[in-house]
Amino acid sequence: MADDVNRIRSILSTHRRELLKRANVVATGVGYKETGGAKTDRLCIVCSVKEKVPPARLPEQEMVPTAVDSTPTDVIQTGVIRALQAPTDRFRPAPGGVSVGHVDITAGTLGCWVTKSGQKVILSNNHVLANSNAAEIGDAILQPGPFDGGRFPQDHIANLTQFVPISFQGGPSECQFANAVISVFNFGCRLISSNTRYKVTKIQAEENLVDAAIAVPLNGADVKDEIFNIGPIQGTVSGELGMAIKKSGRTTGFTTGEIQQVDVTANVQYGAGQVAVFTDQLLAGAMSQGGDSGSAVLDNNNRLTGLLFAGSDKTTIINRIENVFSALGISL
Amino acid sequence: MRMVAILTVLMIPLTALGDDLGMSPSIQEVKKQHEAQFLKMTGVVSVGIGLDPDGNQAIIVGLDGSHPETEANMPQTVGGFPVVVQIIGSIRAQ
Repeated sequence: MADDVNRIRSILSTHRRELLKRANVVATGVGYKETGGAKTDRLCIVCSVKEKVPPARLPEQEMVPTAVDSTPTDVIQTGVIRALQAPTDRFRPAPGGVSVGHVDITAGTLGCWVTKSGQKVILSNNHVLANSNAAEIGDAILQPGPFDGGRFPQDHIANLTQFVPISFQGGPSECQFANAVISVFNFGCRLISSNTRYKVTKIQAEENLVDAAIAVPLNGADVKDEIFNIGPIQGTVSGELGMAIKKSGRTTGFTTGEIQQVDVTANVQYGAGQVAVFTDQLLAGAMSQGGDSGSAVLDNNNRLTGLLFAGSDKTTIINRIENVFSALGISL
Repeated sequence: MRMVAILTVLMIPLTALGDDLGMSPSIQEVKKQHEAQFLKMTGVVSVGIGLDPDGNQAIIVGLDGSHPETEANMPQTVGGFPVVVQIIGSIRAQ
């Protein structure tokens, strides 16, 4: 048997170039011949083609001969063979489900393309595109994100246009009255040469509905309005208890789950010990890990239902898409 | 004064009737009333609406780890709805 394989390999090496020249042939190899869909025990030269074309429609010089040096051939349809791309790779145009990030973060997921004022923009999380409130409007967004090798300026795909600020517990207060009172206190401290200064922090942070931001692409040709491993989005749907869902993300790729809780209030930890309270969230089982933040969550009919942003070992926390759309004034 | 007393007496059967007609608070209302109190308990990181193991609507309380005292102090039901405690771990931005 090994002799047969080696004999056919040497025949193939002589004829490989000539076989691959034919219009439809994308690969050649040694394998068992299939007849009527069933594998036989006869070795042959297998020619993989983009598409099987009836002999009548194929010029003779493009046809795979039935035998080469008295070794039979077989033709199988494999389609075009492409190098497999990982979501952490560079994509142009870029679909949803791939690595993205603000220049100062590690990496998150490009959720999907949405429309703001008639223009397609990237939708992801604030903590992915706006560095958890620390970014400035106009900052560079890289695809892939910096952790996946994205560099400025060669991987600069978009600029931050808008984000919904996250209200953290114990964060700085915007209360003007409290800040005015404290500035008087601090003035007093300075007068008595004290090293102590006071600052106003929120005891009870406001509740958050979304961790969301958008970024406008530098070049409209970089927009691929579908989701990697899922396809185009087919509308939106409000998340309900028991709904089957799926996502395509930078770290865990394509995963599925089920909405196990609605109307969820959750304390979410951000880096550096910051905690933010989110209300009206959807909760699913474990279907994500760090780096999947920003993933678009869809139902079985590819309708958009949420924006993934957090999770624990056993859960995934998702913003309702209706809250995301109304907070940012966007649509599909 | 007498008027108020009469009205109060009249209100009692009306309220009871309301309950019979399914006017008792919804699970959303009950959850809203109790969630701040639950979130103050040690280790509680989430409160949501889901299903208990029998498939009944329930208030689901998530813990970041094992907290026997919190579990012992958690009521089994509130406003007629079951309360289910689950250890889900810390929730982090991903």
